[in-house]
Formats: sequence, structure tokens, C-alpha cells
Amino acid sequence: MASTESPVRRGIGDRLYEFTVQNRVWRSIFRSGYPNTPRNQMLAIATNVFLHLHPTRIHRTHVKITHTFCLGGLSFFLFLGLTVTGVLLMFYYVPSVERAYEDMLALETDVRFGLLMRNLHRWMAHGMVLTVLLHMMRVFYTGAYKPPREFNWVVGVVLLVLTLLLSFTGYLLPWDELAFWAITVGTDMVGSAPILGQPNRFVLIGGYDVGANALIRFYTLHVIGLPLLAAIFMAVHFWRIRRDGGLARPL
Amino acid sequence: MAVARGAQAGAEPVSRAVRARQVRRREEELLVWPDLVFVEFISAVLFTLTLTLLAIVINAPLQDRANPAHTPNPSKAPWYFLNLQELLLHMHPALAGVVVPTVALVALAAIPYFDTDTDRQGEWLSTPRAWPNLIVGSVVGVVGTALLIGWDSQRHVLAYERWVGSWPESLEWLRSARALQGEIAAWLPASLSSIPLGEKVLRTDLLGLPAVDLNVNLPAVLIEQMLPTGLMVGLPVLLSLVAWRSGLAYTRRDHMILQFSGFIAVFIALTVSGTALRGEGMEIFWPWEVRPAES
Repeated sequence: MASTESPVRRGIGDRLYEFTVQNRVWRSIFRSGYPNTPRNQMLAIATNVFLHLHPTRIHRTHVKITHTFCLGGLSFFLFLGLTVTGVLLMFYYVPSVERAYEDMLALETDVRFGLLMRNLHRWMAHGMVLTVLLHMMRVFYTGAYKPPREFNWVVGVVLLVLTLLLSFTGYLLPWDELAFWAITVGTDMVGSAPILGQPNRFVLIGGYDVGANALIRFYTLHVIGLPLLAAIFMAVHFWRIRRDGGLARPL
Repeated sequence: MAVARGAQAGAEPVSRAVRARQVRRREEELLVWPDLVFVEFISAVLFTLTLTLLAIVINAPLQDRANPAHTPNPSKAPWYFLNLQELLLHMHPALAGVVVPTVALVALAAIPYFDTDTDRQGEWLSTPRAWPNLIVGSVVGVVGTALLIGWDSQRHVLAYERWVGSWPESLEWLRSARALQGEIAAWLPASLSSIPLGEKVLRTDLLGLPAVDLNVNLPAVLIEQMLPTGLMVGLPVLLSLVAWRSGLAYTRRDHMILQFSGFIAVFIALTVSGTALRGEGMEIFWPWEVRPAES
């Protein structure tokens, strides 16, 4: 039997692969072998800090695209994309009344890929508001907020508010007409609340009118305050999904 | 303390989900690698490509430098707040800008505490009567919003004057909310249009504090606060009542689907109206007539 088989010929690719993978450095980074056996596939998920957001096995109905349309995952993906493009934009943007608008113009004309980064950041931000709203509708219409997942729905509502606030605070930063008047109109709504409205508006924009103080406050909230809060609530959100045994399914 | 007593009495000290997870048989399972990770990877690639293409094709808007001295007409909030800005045109700003969004968010967050029946969870619209409730809620939401906006923007008056003749004097109160307020003000004693609460009731001056300048305009309160509040509370309640009596909505889940669909429909209708239909002076236009504000 064995004599009829031709001997295995190891080509340059195989050797290169073995050289790359079978050494102490590689094995120290990736502890499990190539995920081509169920054991290694589960280890690939469980031993990786990023992938271990997932369980190692899930119910088969939950992989169907039409079950979730990936909406929660897409919201998270957009959040990550917004972080990356946002950090790149921060290199070129100074949140002062004198420089903000000039920096926007420079970003569009002088910085290589600056316009692309800004466009991506803008469309991802709009996209995230949409996907978060659609994700909420998906969870509602699949009845996935039922016990024991009640509180995770509440965390989701908080994340929806944070998403809107993140988008709203970012809206002021270009310091153009659109930004200035959108924030003026928006904060006027806050100011219309009885008794606490005007004090809240004053704290939010650091004065009676949208100006330099409002810009630095919105910038700080936009680049650190709200993203940190959102990250914390997202951690709770994802962790509770795992605790509750993954996605909801019929009892 | 409560936990200890519960344990003694044999009641559940922790919720069912924490005690025991839902059973899942091995043959119903898939491995996350590769089955889920693959889907996630493909959708991440697809969306990166799509968004990059979008970002190459369409530039983010950048208008002239902000000028506090020059107000564009119309000046609008970001699109996801235009639903509130649309509401602002029809009622008291505190109601539209603060009370309605707060109540809406609290009501949204409270949904799972009212609808606790776990039957048929985790499947798209799988409870009986789910689809009829979704459709009725959505249609009533969109049509109701459109009718109310149309009424308050005097669309019916324009249509009447175009096809029939001038709007009859006797129906002046049906013209719009503002017109109704004017009719009420003319009908009530004039003193009710300015009730000096600050002078007569809140006697802060007796405490040595400055007198409160608070004059209540009863017709304005009726039209700007009572009428919209009544409509926003009453119409959903009426919808649920009718759905209940007609056998459309029976369980709490039915009512939730009905109300949530109605809410989403109203949200979308208000957003579309605020975004696409409101032009100069926040007047109603056809979408193709709405131009961005001149700056």
C-alpha cells in the first residue's frame, strides 16, 4: 500500500511556512496551532484577547446573516473605524476659534489623504447613528430584550444616547456655518427646559453663546470623555451578552 | 438580607439566567472559528470598501467660516435631531426639546420591564399578530404625523383655497394650532391671557427675595403644552384601546410592537419632515424645492 504512494514533496512554500511558524518566537505569540482542528479552532478564539469577546461555540441559527444583519457588530466596527480616523484627524486639528476652520481647509488641501480621512470619519459617524438605531429595531423585533436581558437593553439605550452625543459634539468641530448654527439650534433646545435648562446650557457651552469655550468643551468630550464612557458601556454590553448565553433564542 | 430570606423560603435568590443557562445541544452548535469569524471578517471588509468608496466619491460638507453675526435661513440641527426641531415648530420648546426626548428615552428603556413574557424570543416577529401590529402601528404613526403636521402648517387651508374658495370665517379655529390659540384668547376673558402668578401666588417678595415675574398665558399654555401633550399621550392610548377592542393587540408583546412601530414611524416621519420638507423660514416645501441655507 504505502509503496504505491509517491513520497510527499515539500516545496519551498511548505518550508517557508514551517520556518515561520515552527520556531520559539512564533509559538510564543500564537500559542495554539493552525486552526484546522476543532481543538485549535476553539483555542484560537479562547487564547486571543480580541477574539475572546466571542464564545468558542455558538448556536447555529445565530450565524445566519438575516438573524442580526450584523448590526451590533457593525456599530462596534464603525466605532473602531471612527477611533482610527479620529486619531489621525487629531494630528492636524487644533480646537481654537482662530485655527479650527483653517485646519479644516489645510486638512482638505495640504494633507495627503486628509480629505479622505475626514470624509471617512463623517460618513462613518452618520453610519453609526443609523446602525445603532437599526440594531435597536432588530433587538426589539426579535424580542431579544426579554428577561434575563432587560438591563442590557437599558445599557443599549444609554449607548444610543452616547452615540448621538458623540456625533453631536463632533458636529461643532469644523467651525463652519453648518457646525456653528447646528450647535446653536441644538443647545437652544437644551436651554428651553424649565428651571434647569439655562444652567445646563451654560455648563455645556461654557457661556451664553457658542464660542471658544464651547469649542474646547465639545472637543474634549468628543475625543476623550464620551468615547471612554461609550467604551465602558460597550464593555458591559458585550460582557452581558456572553453572561446571558449569547443571543436570545426560543426557549 | 432579602437574599437570605429568599434562600430560606426556597425562592429564587438570583434570576433564572444566572442559575442555569439555556440548554444547547452539541449538534446545534457551530464553531466560532471559522463560521462566525469569517462572516465578521467579510462584512468588515465589505464595509471598509464601501465606506472608502463613499468617502472618495462624496465629500463631507464644509461651508464658510462660522459667523455668529449671520444666521443662515433655515438653520438646522444635525439630521438625527431634526425630528425634535420639527416638534419645536408645533409646541412649547421645553416640551419638544427636553420633555419629549426624555420621556421617550425612559419609555424605551422601560420596555423590557413591561414586556417580560419570554415566549418566542429570539425570532423575527414570531409572536402571533406581530406583523399586523407592526403594519398598523407604522401606518398610523406616519399618517397621523403627516396629518398633524399638515394641519398645523395649514396645508388643508391651502388646498381648500386652491380648489374651493376662501377659508370660511366660522372655521377659523380649524386653520392651525396658532389660529386656535387666537380664537381661544378672543373667547376667554382677556385677564386669563396674563395671570400674574408671580404677583399673586408666588409671593417671594414676602421672603425678602426679588419678586418673580411669572405671568401665565392660559390660551398659550392650552395650545403649546396641553394640546400637544394630550395628543402625544392620548393618540397612542387610543390606538392601543382600539387595537385591543378590535382583537388586533391582545398580549403585552402585541401592544409593545404596536407602540414601538408607531414610535419608530413617527420618529422617521418627523425626521423626514424636518430634513427634507422644511425650507426657508422652516416652512413646508416639496423636497426638490428645499435648498440648503445660503451662507
